[in-house]
Formats: sequence, C-alpha cells, structure tokens
Amino acid sequence: MDAFLTSRIVSDILEGLTNGVIYGLIALSLVLIWRSAGILNFAQGAMPMFATYLGVIVFAGDFGYWPLVAISVAAGFVLGGTTERVLVRHLYGKPEINPIVVMVGFLIVLEAVAAAIWSTTPRGIPSPFSPIDWHLGGQPVALSPFSVYEIVTALVVMSLVAALFRFTKLGLQLRASALAPEVSRLLGVRVNRMLTLGWVLSTGVGTICTVLVASNFFTGLTPQVMDGIFAFGFIAAAVGGLDSPVGAVVSGVTIGIILQFVGDYVNSNAIILTALIILIVSLMLRPNGIFTKSAARRV
Amino acid sequence: MSRLVFPRRQFLPAGLLVAGLVVAFVVTPRLRDGVAIAVAVVIAAASVAVLVMPNVRQAHPVIARALLTLVALDATLLLTFFLSATTDFNLAVGAAMSIVLLGLSFLTGASGQISLGNSAFMGVGALVVAMWADHHATTPIVVTILIAVACGAAVGLLLGLPATRLRGPYLAGMTLAFVVAFPALDNLFSSWTGGDAGLELPTPVTSPHWLAGYFSANTSSFTLGTIWMTDMTVIITAVAFFLMANLFASRAGRAMRLIRDNDVAAELVGVSLPRARVLAFIVSAAYAALGGALWTLINNSVSPPTYTLALSITILSLMVIGGIGTIPGAIFGGVIYAYSTNVITWFTSHVGIGSQSNLASQMPGIVFGALLILTMLFAPRGLTGALHRLREWRRDR
Repeated sequence: MDAFLTSRIVSDILEGLTNGVIYGLIALSLVLIWRSAGILNFAQGAMPMFATYLGVIVFAGDFGYWPLVAISVAAGFVLGGTTERVLVRHLYGKPEINPIVVMVGFLIVLEAVAAAIWSTTPRGIPSPFSPIDWHLGGQPVALSPFSVYEIVTALVVMSLVAALFRFTKLGLQLRASALAPEVSRLLGVRVNRMLTLGWVLSTGVGTICTVLVASNFFTGLTPQVMDGIFAFGFIAAAVGGLDSPVGAVVSGVTIGIILQFVGDYVNSNAIILTALIILIVSLMLRPNGIFTKSAARRV
Repeated sequence: MSRLVFPRRQFLPAGLLVAGLVVAFVVTPRLRDGVAIAVAVVIAAASVAVLVMPNVRQAHPVIARALLTLVALDATLLLTFFLSATTDFNLAVGAAMSIVLLGLSFLTGASGQISLGNSAFMGVGALVVAMWADHHATTPIVVTILIAVACGAAVGLLLGLPATRLRGPYLAGMTLAFVVAFPALDNLFSSWTGGDAGLELPTPVTSPHWLAGYFSANTSSFTLGTIWMTDMTVIITAVAFFLMANLFASRAGRAMRLIRDNDVAAELVGVSLPRARVLAFIVSAAYAALGGALWTLINNSVSPPTYTLALSITILSLMVIGGIGTIPGAIFGGVIYAYSTNVITWFTSHVGIGSQSNLASQMPGIVFGALLILTMLFAPRGLTGALHRLREWRRDR
C-alpha cells in the first residue's frame, strides 16, 4: 500500500489534483461572470491579483494569516462590484469585442500599476501550513499539509457557490436575471443589482484562488502571477463550456491531472503546448464545450 | 465630359507636380543627383498620371492606390535622408509595427474577431528569419523574409482551424493562451531558437555596392546602414499596405465586412463563413510574422522575451487608438508606436519621476492600457473616426 501511495502515478494524480482545483476555481469565476453578464472577463486574473495586494500589503500589516485572507477577499468583493458599476455597465449590449478590449486594457493597467507600486519581486505570504510533503516508509507522498489546505478550500468554495445557486432565494434571482432579464425585472428582481452581485461573487472566488496561489511557498505574489493560471483557467472553462459551472470545475481538475503527467513524463515546456492542443481539439469537436447542450442561435 | 465631374481634384495633382519640382531643387545639393532626380520623377509621373485621368479613383482604383502608395513611399524615403540615425531607427520599428497593426485591423475590422496572439506570431517571424539566416547565409534577404511570412501563415492556419466555428470571446482567449505559451514553445525548441537568449544575425543587412554610391558620400557607415535598413522597411511596408488596400476592396474583403455586420445574412448570400474566417486569421498572422521578421533585421538579433502578452496588448491598443479596420488607423498606430517611448520618457522625466523607478518602467503599460479603455468607451472609432467627424463637421458648416 505504501509503495502504491508513493508511486509515480499516484504522485502525479495528487499533484495534478492540487493544480487542477486552482484551474477549476478560476474557471468557475469566469463562468460566473459569463453566465450573468455574457462577458468573458480577461481581467479575471488581474483583478484578484490587485485585490490580494490591497489586502495583504496595504490594509493588513502583521495581522496574521487569516485576517489577511479575509481582508483580501473583502477587497476582491469591493473591486469586483466597483469595476462592474464604473467600467462594465456601459458595455452591455455593445458589439462583443468592446467588453473584451476594455477588460484587456484593464488587465494591463492593473498589472502595470501593481508593478509600479509594489515592484515585480515576489512577496511570500507565509501560511500556517507546511509545504513539505508527508512521508510514508521513507518515500514522499505528493501531498503536503498546504496542498490539502488548497484542495479543501477549493472544494468548500465550489460547494458554497453551488449551494448558493441551488438552494437560496438569492441564487434563484441570480439565475433568473441571467436567463431572462426582462421577465425577472417584471417579476420584481433587481436585475442590475444581480449583475453587480455576479461580479462581486466572481471576483471573490478569484481572490480566494489568488490567495491560495500566492501563499504557496514556491510562487509568492507577483503582478503577473495569475497570467499563466488565467490561461489554464480559460482553457478549462472553454473546454467545459463557458455556461457550465460543473463543467468548469471538472475540466479544470482533469486538465490539471493530465498536464501533471505531461510535465512529469515528457517535459515541463510541453505542458502549455499540450493545454493549447487540448483547447484547439476540443473547440473543433465541440465549440460550445463538452458540458453544455448545443443551443440554437436565434437570429 | 468625364473631366468635368470632379474639377477640384485637378488642383491636387498640379500642386503635387509643382511640389515635386521644388523638392528636387531643394534636395539636389544635399544628395547625389540620382536620388533627387528619382524622387522628382516619381512625384511628377504620379501627378501627371492623375492629371490625365481625373476620375482615376473611380475608373481604375488599383492604379489610384498604386499612385498614392508611390507618392507616400517617395515622401517617406526622402524624409529618411534628413532624419537622424536614431529617428530613422524608430521610424523603421514603427513602420514594421504598422504592418502588424494592419494585419490585426483586417482581422478585427473585416471579421469582427480579436486576436491577442499577434505578438507571438511576430515572434515566429522574428525567430524564423534569424534561424534561416544562421543556416543559409547566402539566401537573398527577400526570400528569407518570405519564408518567415510563410511560417507565420502556417502557424496561423493551425491555430485558425478551430476559428471556423468560434464566436465571441473564444478566439481571443485561445490566442491569449497561445501568447502565454510562446516562451515555453521557444524553450521547447531551444536547440533551434536559442531559448530565452535568442539569436543574432550572422551579418547585418547592408546595402549593395551599386546602390551605396547613390547615397550622400560623407555620411558614416553606421548612418548609412540605418538609412538603408529604414528604406528597406518602408518599401516593404508600402508593398504590404498596397496589397492590403486591394484585399480590403476585393470580393473577399467585402464578404468579410458582411460577416462582421451580420454573419447569418452573409451565409445566406453564399459567403463561406469558415473559409473567410480562416483566411482573415491567416492574413493577420502572416502580416504579424512579416513585422516580426523586419524587427529582427532592424535589430540584427531577436530576443524572444520581447514577444509577450504585454506587446500583444500594446498592438491591440494601437489598433483601437488608430481606428479599427482602417488603413490610416494602422499608419497612425505605427507612428505613435515609433515615437511613444521618447514621448513617455520625456513626460516622466518632466513630471519628476526618476528614470530608474518602478513607475517609470511601468509607464508604457499604464498609458497604453488607459488609452485603450478610454478610446473604447468614448471614441470607439479611434483617431480615424475623429478625423472623419471633423471633416463632416467642416462640410456641414
């Protein structure tokens, strides 16, 4: 049993799972915005990055880890809501490249401003969990207290979002205003408020993900820390279908595990190439994603 | 008589003719006679041609575009002799960039899609030129450039295949993944590409002997080399613009504009959506590769870390600021790019920001990002649109 748990295959699956839940979280936050506003938020990596800097560096000096996390996520909520109110509100109903262009601009502004204020040197956020792998019979298992913390947090966040949408009145309103804004408005749902709430929620999820990434002993917080992860998250969301939260999470975890095998058995440079090939092939086979029913377009 | 249809048009060629002669007189003492005479003859010939055919723009649009390109090219080439070597260098960099912008402009303006991968396509062109030149030093430079363009187009085809079925943000996201993947791809093939360190050209591109004699005799060889490279770049840029202007106006170009405005209607009148979309994507990739190839030739080397997501976003901002889907927009964008570094440096030093500070090094990102957002929100048609509105306002008054 010990030999099995420390084998190369199990290690790869465990490490892949740790990466995969991160991709799944970012993919989930992309899906949240896409479903409520029909916008693919290209600043979905940069906004949480900025919120994490705000929380960790500006507002919380030496409060300890958990207050830091709480303040960062709160900053994420505020940043998400403000962005929707100030920047995005003018873009509903415009040609579909307008929001893409604006959010891409926002991405570069946030990264440049963060680099100008806090420099590009990585900042560690010391977490209370050790990044050193457990050992079984002298061999390391590819699982540390920190990666368990990552996986558990991600799963909890995902279940909370699912519960919110499925079991609460607020979740029903959110779903209704995304599906049929006019009807919902007539029935008394404050659709504009729901849109803002969608962005608040999504940036919050993104910030939790960024905090997890940045508390990793081996990465730390940099202005561009989320660029690569955003790309993987987008690939996961696109493969799973931008409409499907379940698809986003499942394909995020699957892609994480596949890429871990590629990185271990082939070459670490082949990881992103494989991800790109997965994206291209899956878009050619099912342009709307694996987990969505293909919908007819109305003309 | 068709001559009387646009009587005001005839003032322009007549004026150009006079300007050509004046320029020839002014220029002669500063340059060898050959160049000055060539400049004057081209301007004069173009003006006479327009004079003879007053409705040339209606009857022979291709000739009209060729003449316009020639005159603009001529004026720019003349300018390169008077600018300093640094300014010439910037001009060359900007001219190459305007080719990239034109490619992206075609993709966005004609088919309504956005690519964030154009800096990676530039990187492909830039690397291929250096790789080819390192192994086959005797290949004529034009052939090397064409090989780089073909490679860019081939990569564009690979990435463009799913583009046939994509709508909305998927293409932008996919090309973003491509540009994020570019450094890893570069390292994966580092035995050919040199990895992060990049490659140097074995020999810098210099002018052939028979031409060197026509340049002013008492300029340093460094200045001569820069002028030659700038002129080469400007000529290639002119050819690229001429081809694109014709493509814009051709059947394929019209079909793509229809797709942008209403893809369902386009399909109903028999336009093949997949073919048009892939074609637009390939053309934009090929143009980006051409721009990257020229950058390598201008710098005598290629540094793969240049071709990042940030450069892609700069390309996107320049296109939006210039005006999406227009030819003048690409030129505006190229000029802005050529001299933006100088302007931003001047601005930061005047405001009192230390040149070594973080803020100074991040200034280009902040400026281009902010301009991108503001242009898109308040003037989505960019500089070209603003000029258009100005002209309409003056006509209405």
